[in-house]
Amino acid sequence: MKRDRPASATDIPLLDIDRMSMRFGGLIAVSDLDLDVPEGNIVSLIGPNGAGKTTAFNCVSGIYSPTSGSVRFEGHRLTQSFGPGVFWTALAIGLVVGLFTAAAAVDVDRLWLAVVKRGMAIDEPFTLETVRRRLRGYFRAELAIDQMAGKWRVVSADGRDVLAIRRDLADARSLRNQLQAAVTARRAGPGTIPDATDMAGAASPSQPQALISDDLLDRLAAGKARVRFRGWAGLLAGGLLGAAGTIAIWRRGRRSPHVVARAGISRTFQNIRLFSNMTVLENVLVGLDRAIPGGALAMLFRTPANRRGEEEARARAVEALQFVGLAEAANRIAGQLPYGDQRRLEIARALATGARLILLDEPAAGMNPTETTELAQLIRSIRDRGVTVLLIEHHMNMVMRISDRVAVLDHGVKIADGTPADVKRNRRVIEAYLGGEA
Amino acid sequence: MGTVWGWVSDRWEVVVLAVLAVAPLVIPALGGALGGQVTTLFIYCILALGLNVMVGYTGLLHLGIAAFFGIGAYVLAILTVPTFPFQIGWLAAAAVSIAVTAGIGLALGAPTLRLRGDYLAIVTLGFGEVAKVTLRNLEQVTGGMKGLNPVPPPGAGVTVAGTDLGLAFAVDPRWFYYLTLASLAGVVWAMRRLENSRLGRAWVAVREDELAASAMGISATRVKLSAFAMSSAVAALAGCLYAASLSTTADPNAYDFNRSILVLCAVILGGLGSIPGTLLGVAILVGFDTVLAPWADSLIQQLNINPSGSSLLSFSGWRLAIFGIALVLVMRYRPEGLIPSRRLAAELHGDQR
Repeated sequence: MKRDRPASATDIPLLDIDRMSMRFGGLIAVSDLDLDVPEGNIVSLIGPNGAGKTTAFNCVSGIYSPTSGSVRFEGHRLTQSFGPGVFWTALAIGLVVGLFTAAAAVDVDRLWLAVVKRGMAIDEPFTLETVRRRLRGYFRAELAIDQMAGKWRVVSADGRDVLAIRRDLADARSLRNQLQAAVTARRAGPGTIPDATDMAGAASPSQPQALISDDLLDRLAAGKARVRFRGWAGLLAGGLLGAAGTIAIWRRGRRSPHVVARAGISRTFQNIRLFSNMTVLENVLVGLDRAIPGGALAMLFRTPANRRGEEEARARAVEALQFVGLAEAANRIAGQLPYGDQRRLEIARALATGARLILLDEPAAGMNPTETTELAQLIRSIRDRGVTVLLIEHHMNMVMRISDRVAVLDHGVKIADGTPADVKRNRRVIEAYLGGEA
Repeated sequence: MGTVWGWVSDRWEVVVLAVLAVAPLVIPALGGALGGQVTTLFIYCILALGLNVMVGYTGLLHLGIAAFFGIGAYVLAILTVPTFPFQIGWLAAAAVSIAVTAGIGLALGAPTLRLRGDYLAIVTLGFGEVAKVTLRNLEQVTGGMKGLNPVPPPGAGVTVAGTDLGLAFAVDPRWFYYLTLASLAGVVWAMRRLENSRLGRAWVAVREDELAASAMGISATRVKLSAFAMSSAVAALAGCLYAASLSTTADPNAYDFNRSILVLCAVILGGLGSIPGTLLGVAILVGFDTVLAPWADSLIQQLNINPSGSSLLSFSGWRLAIFGIALVLVMRYRPEGLIPSRRLAAELHGDQR
C-alpha cells in the first residue's frame, strides 16, 4: 500500500477523482467524473435515481475498478504495489507446486520405491546424501538391488526390469557393480575406460554381459530420457502454474475494498449491510479488526499485546457506540435493532475503522423527519471529529443545510458542482430534477 | 441456585471434562471395548470441531472433510510405520502431519476462494473423492487397499519409570481414552479462544456479509484461507489420533464421502457454529452408531428375541432408518440445531426487525 508520504493538507484534496468512468458493457454508468473532496468538508453527491451516484461510490471504495480515470486518496492511487513479498511468495508456491507436478509426472510410486523403500531392503541409512544419490540413480536409470521373498534381485532403479536373482547379498552387489560398469561404459561411448569405482568386482570370471541384452544395455545407458523430460516438464509447468496462480490471486485483490478500507476510506451501504447475527458491539469490533495486533497463535495464547489490543478495541468500540448514541444496545443482536439504529450502527462501524474519509450512501433513507434532523447533527459532529464526509442523499433539506459543497450527477455526468446556494440556482440542476422545457 | 447454574453453563466444558476424566475410574467397562468406542467418539468430536470452523463460523459448505482426516492419518503413518525409514516419534509425526494437511487445505482453498455455497460444496466433494482414489492407487506410498500398518502407539520407545509408554498404550485402552480426551479438551479450548478473538469475529463477519467485511478492512481472502487451514489442521489431528488408536490407517474407503456427511450432519444437528452443539451432535449421531447400536444388538441377542438372526429384528438393521427419521424431525422442529449458537438462533427464528 502506498501511504508513505503524508498529504500536505492544503494543496492536495483528500480525495481526488479524476476523469473516472465506469461502463458495464454498453452502459456508461459514470462518465468522466471529476470530483475533489477537500479535507474536513462535507461534500454531497446528489442526482436523480439512476444517475450513477452509488456506482461512483463503489468505484471509490474498491468494489468496482473504474474502466478509466483515477481515484487518488491523499495523492496516492489505492492499489497494492508489487513488492518483493509477492515475488518470493509466488516463487515459493510455484516451486512447491512444480515439485508435486514433477513427482506426479515421473510416477510417484516408482520414485517412492526407488528413493525411500529400496534403501530399507539393503539396510542403507536414510540421509540426505543417500536420497540425493538414489534420486540421481533413478533419473539416470542406474541399477539397484532389491529384496523379494528373501532373495536379492538386481533391478533397474525404477524396478521395471529384473536382471538377475541371487541368494546372497554380496553376490548380488558384485553383480550389480559389474553390470553397472557395463552400462556406464556403454554410456561413456566406445573406447572409454570405465571409472575405477564402477569396476569394483569386475574381476569375477562370470560373464555379466550375458545377463543383459544389448537392447536393454542401450536403453539403460541412454538413461531415462523420457522420464527426465517428464520431470523437467512437470517442474516447469507446475512452477509456472503455481506462480501464475499466486500472481492472479494477488492481482485480483490489488484494488479490493479491504485495501481501500485500510488506506482510510470507509463506507456505509444504501441497503444496510450489517453483520445482522452478531451483536452490536461485535459489529463495531469487526471494524476495529486491524487495531488488534497478533496472528492466530497470539490470539490462541492471548499474548499480552493481543489482550491489550482487544481491550483497547473494546473501549474504542464502546466510544464509537456512544458517539452515535447506541451504547445501551451494545449487547443486542444487530439485526433486531430498529431501522434507524441500524443505520447509525453502520456509521459507528465505519467510523471505528479509523477512516479519514467516510462515504455515506443515503443514510437518511427511510428515516422520519426527527430522525433525519438527528442524523444531520450526527454527520456534522463526524466532520467535527476531523473525518471528511462524502454523502449521497435524497433529502434535499438536509443536503442543503449541512453540505459545504454539492456535486450533481445526471446520467453519469457531473452537471454542477459548488456551494449549496449555487447548485440550487443552477438551471441544469433544476432541469435534471424537474425535466427540461418541452 | 441461579448463580450455580450460571457458573455451570458458563464453564460447561470444565464440568464435562471433569466428569469424563473421572469416568474410567468409576466405570470399569471403559477399560475394555467400550473405552475404544468412546475414544472413537472423541476423535469424531475433534473432527467435527474442525469442520465447524468452515461450515459453522465461516459459512463455507465443506463436503470433503474426511479427505483431510485421511491425509492426516496417512502422513502420520508414513512417518511412523516400520516399512518406511523415517520412524519418528508420534508427537513429531503428528506435528508434521498437521502442518502438511493445513498446507494441502490452503492449496485447495486458494483456487476456490470465489466459490460459495453449492459450488464450493461440489469442489470439496470432488476433492474428497480424488483424495480417496489417490490414497488407494499410490500403492508404494500408501499401501493401496491394505493401508499402512502397523502404526506404532504414541510414546513407543519412550520409557517412563521402567515401563515403555508404547506398550502401556497397546495394553490398556484407557491411555488412548485420556490422550484423545486431552486432545479434545485442547481443541475445545483453542476454539473457545479463537471464537472470541479477532479471527473468530472475522470468520463470522465473512459468513454474514463478505462485501461489508472487506469494506471494513478485512481481507476476505486471508480469512477464508485461514478457515481452510484451521479446519484441515484440526481434521489432521483427529486423523493422527485415529490412525494411532487403530494402529493402522485402515483402507482408504474409511475416508469416503459417508464419513464427511456423517460429521456434517452432526455439526448441523448440534448447531452450526456452536461448540457444545457440535459435541452433542457427534455424541448423538456417532454415539448412536458406535456405542448404542452394538449395545442394543448384544442386548437383543442376550434376551434371545431374535433366534433366527433376521436382520428385521436386529437393531443395526433399523439403524439408518432411525437415524434418518431423527434428522428429519430435528430439522423440522429445531432447524437451528439442538444447542444453537446465539447468532444462528436469531437468524432462523425470524424475529429480526
